[in-house]
Amino acid sequence: MSACREAELDALLAGELSPEDTARVHAHASACPACQHALAWLRAERGWMAQRARRLPERPALDFTALEARLRKREAPPAPRRLEWLYWGRMLTAATAVVAFVLLGTLQVTRIPSADEPWSQHDPFAAAPRTVEWCDDPSREAVAALEARVGACLVATPLLPLR
Amino acid sequence: MKMVLAGAPPSDTDRERTLLRRARTGDPAAFRWLFERHASGVWRFLRDSMRDEAAADEATQETFVRAHARLGTLRDDDRLGAWLLGIARRVYLESLRQRGVHVDVEDDAHASHVEAVLPTPTPEDLLLDREMEGLLAGALRTLREDRRAALLLRIDHGLPYEEIASVMGWSLQKVKNEIHRARLQLREQLAAHIGGRP
Repeated sequence: MSACREAELDALLAGELSPEDTARVHAHASACPACQHALAWLRAERGWMAQRARRLPERPALDFTALEARLRKREAPPAPRRLEWLYWGRMLTAATAVVAFVLLGTLQVTRIPSADEPWSQHDPFAAAPRTVEWCDDPSREAVAALEARVGACLVATPLLPLR
Repeated sequence: MKMVLAGAPPSDTDRERTLLRRARTGDPAAFRWLFERHASGVWRFLRDSMRDEAAADEATQETFVRAHARLGTLRDDDRLGAWLLGIARRVYLESLRQRGVHVDVEDDAHASHVEAVLPTPTPEDLLLDREMEGLLAGALRTLREDRRAALLLRIDHGLPYEEIASVMGWSLQKVKNEIHRARLQLREQLAAHIGGRP
């Protein structure tokens, strides 16, 4: 039996066919052994499912008060989430600190001369944009002259007195 | 004083339409009536799909929570049952995805020539005793998940083929084919217990 033929017989039992189709399918089925066989199974299935549905156990999900509580919970306005605000406040502070640190670092980056370059030939402040104020060292030129005279780089001079 | 209504009493379908309109406006008593009318069918469908009564409890509640929120989106008031079962099926499929469960698609070539050897049920077979109920539940479990769902929507919940097509997202022809195959498989499983039971 085809799926369509069986679906028609099924619709006949369910009373879903138009009066014309009901008469047509009924007339055919009453003279067709295969349709009689299929109808017997369809009736049995419908009967079994109806009996099964009547034996439904008691379940908490079928109690409306449980659903009502759930609906109320869903509809209630959200309570202030203090801890969440605290968390996001901390995150914002940390992010601001990181951004400030990176920006300041960028502004202060200058080219560091190599140890071989004499101090007098490389002024670390000359090429840098004068965006940051610094103190002019009045002895700078005197130090450069001294370095030129002795042929040594005084940058390597230790800050602490030698013992 | 008792009120006497003239004419025929309203059918459950008429009453459902009226209460559906009231539920949309936020009437909790109307929604309660709809819940009590449909909850058992939704729970049964979910129990048969999930094979777990506690999981079916949770999924039933979730189905009605969603239905309550989306009642305004139901276009055809006569399709409330199918609409609820459609939501229930989505809730079930979501639960499968959350658990990472893969729904297998089995080969059903063996179901082609079964019909010819099936016995015909006798009137005695129509009684669903405990043994037969167990056999039926076992036979349903052997069906492929989507095929079982389509069959149950038809034989348990009485949805028309067109509504099953809508719930399952299938063509009408596919619904007919799948339900036919499901029936053949089910009958094959039950055949040994039909037509000659003591």
